[in-house]
Amino acid sequence: MFAAKQGDFTPAQRAHTRRVLWLFLAYAIILPPLVWLRAHRHVSDLLLMIMATAAALPVLGIFASWGRYLSDERDEYHQAMTLRRMAVATNATMGAAVVWGFLQAFGVMPLMEAYWIPFVWVLVQGAFGCIGALARRGEEG
Amino acid sequence: MENRLRVLRAERGWSQQDLAERLEVSRQSVNAIETGKYDPSLPLAFRVAELFAIPIEEIFVSPSRRSSKAI
Repeated sequence: MFAAKQGDFTPAQRAHTRRVLWLFLAYAIILPPLVWLRAHRHVSDLLLMIMATAAALPVLGIFASWGRYLSDERDEYHQAMTLRRMAVATNATMGAAVVWGFLQAFGVMPLMEAYWIPFVWVLVQGAFGCIGALARRGEEG
Repeated sequence: MENRLRVLRAERGWSQQDLAERLEVSRQSVNAIETGKYDPSLPLAFRVAELFAIPIEEIFVSPSRRSSKAI
């Protein structure tokens, strides 16, 4: 049951936030030694593949957490808002990736690593969420 | 969707949070429904109707009925 004392976040939102914070922490711990190893030591292709996959795992976990959140969320309004945010972020990011890809192909823009695309997706979601929250706060006074 | 949720809630002296707890949704949901920014699902609309013990159509105004009135 929803409890007023739990503030403005639903139980599913709090669980998702906790999972994402842990995954960011894991990412921050895993990435630096991998980057250092890649830059300073000669490592085999197999190990490079394992290292690259290890670096990606926390980010994959964040996406899995979003899926879990959508399935756990019992508040249909929050669920609908999250889906809307995801749709906006997906359209904006895919659009930007296509435009950047052509600019890159025509030699106008430099090469951008593909792993930036999910980060842009998360940033757009965050920005859209902040705009929505500010608008709601304004309306509610 | 236009509705009488705010009026019904005020008649009982409930805050948005009180209503949210009774419906087992968030306060933001109640606010979004009251202001017409979010249309509740049919199960939630039924829960609202059962809580106030009145038919759904006395709480939520059918958009088609509203537009026919305007004509």
